Amino acid sequence: MEIDLSPILDSWQYLLGGLGVTLLLSVLTVICSTILGAAIALARVYGPAWLRVPLVFYIDTMRAIPVLVVLVWTYFAVPILFGFNFPPFWAALVALTAHIAAYVAEIVRAGIESIRPGQIRAGLAIGMSQAQIVRKIILPQATVRMLPAFGSILSITIKDTAIAAVIAVPEFMKRSETIAGQSYHPIEVFTFAMLVYFVILFPVTRLVDMFYRRVAHLGRS
Amino acid sequence: MNTAANQAARKNAGDVPVIAYENIRKVYGKFVALDGVTAHVNKGEVMCLIGPSGSGKSTALRCTNGLETINGGHILLDGGPLPDSETEMRKIRQRMGMVFQSFELFPHKTAVQNVALGPVTVLGMNPSQAIERSMALLDKVGLAAKADNYPSGLSGGQQQRVAIARALAMEPEVMLFDEPTSALDPETIGEVLSVMKKLADEGMTMIVVTHEMSFARRVANWVVVFDHGKVVEEGPPRQIFEDPTAQRTQDFLSHLGWNG
Amino acid sequence: MTLDWSVVWQYRGALLEGTLMTILLTVLTMLIAVPAGVMLALMRLSNSKPLSAVSACFVEFFRNLPLILVIYWAFYVMPVAIGVEFSAFTTGLAALCLNVSAYNSETFRAGINSIRKGQTEAAIAVGMSRWQAMSKVIIPQAWRRVLPILASTWVSLFKDTSLVSVIAVGELAHTALQIRSQTFRVLEMLTAMAAIYWLLGYPQAKLVDWIQRKYGVKE
Repeated sequence: MEIDLSPILDSWQYLLGGLGVTLLLSVLTVICSTILGAAIALARVYGPAWLRVPLVFYIDTMRAIPVLVVLVWTYFAVPILFGFNFPPFWAALVALTAHIAAYVAEIVRAGIESIRPGQIRAGLAIGMSQAQIVRKIILPQATVRMLPAFGSILSITIKDTAIAAVIAVPEFMKRSETIAGQSYHPIEVFTFAMLVYFVILFPVTRLVDMFYRRVAHLGRS
Repeated sequence: MNTAANQAARKNAGDVPVIAYENIRKVYGKFVALDGVTAHVNKGEVMCLIGPSGSGKSTALRCTNGLETINGGHILLDGGPLPDSETEMRKIRQRMGMVFQSFELFPHKTAVQNVALGPVTVLGMNPSQAIERSMALLDKVGLAAKADNYPSGLSGGQQQRVAIARALAMEPEVMLFDEPTSALDPETIGEVLSVMKKLADEGMTMIVVTHEMSFARRVANWVVVFDHGKVVEEGPPRQIFEDPTAQRTQDFLSHLGWNG
Repeated sequence: MTLDWSVVWQYRGALLEGTLMTILLTVLTMLIAVPAGVMLALMRLSNSKPLSAVSACFVEFFRNLPLILVIYWAFYVMPVAIGVEFSAFTTGLAALCLNVSAYNSETFRAGINSIRKGQTEAAIAVGMSRWQAMSKVIIPQAWRRVLPILASTWVSLFKDTSLVSVIAVGELAHTALQIRSQTFRVLEMLTAMAAIYWLLGYPQAKLVDWIQRKYGVKE
């Protein structure tokens, strides 16, 4: 078996463009799902009781349904339901955000609930309000504790963007697939794709771990 | 009598020591934990290792049964050096019993199962025989009634006594105690120390790392004072506690509030 | 927009088959990936540097790749590398096993490492070999810690089986999408697919919560 890397070399710009889309989609998803997930978690912990049921339902639903299904439904079914055309990139962003926000919400909730009640009492004893306690005492510590789990969110998001290939988002996985199909050298192309993803993903979790180790003491009470 | 004379007198007692440290060294990276330690314990003797935290006494004990390996010198069991191979070392460990500061009972097994696990797994003993032996040992440490309790249902002192029974179940030649009472509530220290005294009275060879000075004073035949990885003084308890020759010994004891 | 939900009922047989295929893939993968994970964890923790390195590389590699890519890659590489034509099912199963074994290995390694060092020392002090200490003392304690995480991995795996649809394995997602293509009932079939996954996945997620409450270790 001879190895022919020319399909990869010939299309390097095309693939690089795909990589750019992957990274863009990942970053946007992480930002949006963090905001949404944090909002859900805060609403769940500190919000009115009637809000809890629908929020928990939403979180559990996203835990029950595969990403693929959410992606496909968002891209194909939403246009039918609401009558507008959903470009693949934006459909993927919405779907991935909705899915991953549920996990973020759970992580944030766990972080908040892991802060010892004594910390809250200490804040009250100094005369702080509930909002001040949350902002100044709980959230800073909770944020530090969430870091390791958050690193895995980053990693999961990048991996999930590859699934967006099935709704033809022009990201790296999809473009690798296209080149592989055109070139009749799928092994080289997909192996190359694996190396690229590994090189991106491997440092991500390591860096978060390293950063966490530096600041972990700030979260211990 | 000074230290050197003491040592010489003991050595000439004739018998081969059960455990002998010959100029042992142990380093962790740059930190020298043991810096040329020489000491020995004869059959039937109780040797107490005392000294400040980090002085190397626990390290020496853990090197004795191979939980740590020395970087220099020799450790001899009955005159023979400890083997290098792990398989040989395993057989050696069957001849030594160890009791840990944190008891380390197996939480998923009852007291009697804890004691019997060694004989069954290592010696291949028949389970009912092992249970018989275990019950006898639990009785010896005063816990026959708690045989079917899990460690979570036992007090610290009770757990430690079970741990002693567990070590005895292998019928060792020497018992190694690593600060056996340091993790106990003051009320329960006494029950563990009296079991240890009983063992000593029965003639068990023991090396005890301890902070319980009154125990060392009453029960030890020989006391070795450690500091910064070296032996600063050794001798019979009367000398160490009432008439120490080394300044470090005096500093250490007065720091503990020991007034003789 | 007219909806015809009867198509779901019409194709219930195929959907049921797809569901069974999903369950089969999940069960088979776990049956293989749990022992494989234990083996990889023990290799990683062993004193042999080469064994440990091989295990570490395998685990880090498959933990840091998108599963969908591994599926495609397996599809093209396996026939060439091993010279035998595999069914899509086998290929999909292989990719899932590689992926989940890597995660399981980390789960078992963390579980084993969470048991205090003193326990191993106490076992060795009594004369046990490292292997005896592991099997009689460490693993019996570690499985309680491992169980909640394995349960969670199971649920993730159940969802990830949907990805083998891309190489035309007839599990639920693929079946539903096929029916959609044949009948052009897009909204109905996609919603039905989501609903079936929800009906299967929701109880599993709740079960995982229960297991975590029951067996969770409070640090």
